[in-house]
Amino acid sequence: MKAKLGVSALVLLFLAGLWLVAAPFAVGYQPRGAAYVDATLNDLWLGGSLAAVSFVALVVYAADALRELARRAKHAES
Amino acid sequence: MIRKFVGTVASVLALVAGLWLMIAPFALGTQPENADWTDPTTSEFFTGLVIAVVALAGALAFAASIHEELVARGLVTVRRRPEPEPEPVPAAPQGASSAELASLLAPLVEALREDMNKTAHAGEHRQNGKATLVGVEENR
Repeated sequence: MKAKLGVSALVLLFLAGLWLVAAPFAVGYQPRGAAYVDATLNDLWLGGSLAAVSFVALVVYAADALRELARRAKHAES
Repeated sequence: MIRKFVGTVASVLALVAGLWLMIAPFALGTQPENADWTDPTTSEFFTGLVIAVVALAGALAFAASIHEELVARGLVTVRRRPEPEPEPVPAAPQGASSAELASLLAPLVEALREDMNKTAHAGEHRQNGKATLVGVEENR
């Protein structure tokens, strides 16, 4: 139950990372065609990193859960 | 176990990122001093706040899950607090104790009175004395 809460938090963090990447253009503080301002650069780097870290954590979690399932199935067969 | 640890590390990193987002407009100087918050400041601050709160909740949840699993495996023992000793019952006030004493002694006094009455009526049949105690008292 607690782990599910953590996984939900990771999903929310992944979505927040995507939002951060889109925020400068969605909110409108990055002018079109102009060089990226400092706030845009900050949001892009941080949002991308956050989304990547959350995604990797989710993949690792799912992979380890699948590996444990496979181990249990193997143990049940033998 | 390892997946929960990875989740904890990712949540802690996200917590740091959220805190940085909250202070970034002021640290990078994109927010002018003594002015209302600009759109980038508002967006970054509240996004960072949400990220920090969610990341903190996730880190705590993963850490609690790890602790739960360690306890289930017997690798960690849960310390139980010693049960507090029962507090001594405070002494009853003096007035209450004398009233209780009187109510406790009332049946005894009644029994003594009945016994004395019986002795007075059957004083002639006393074996060890010539007169009843009441009679002796009256003769004094």
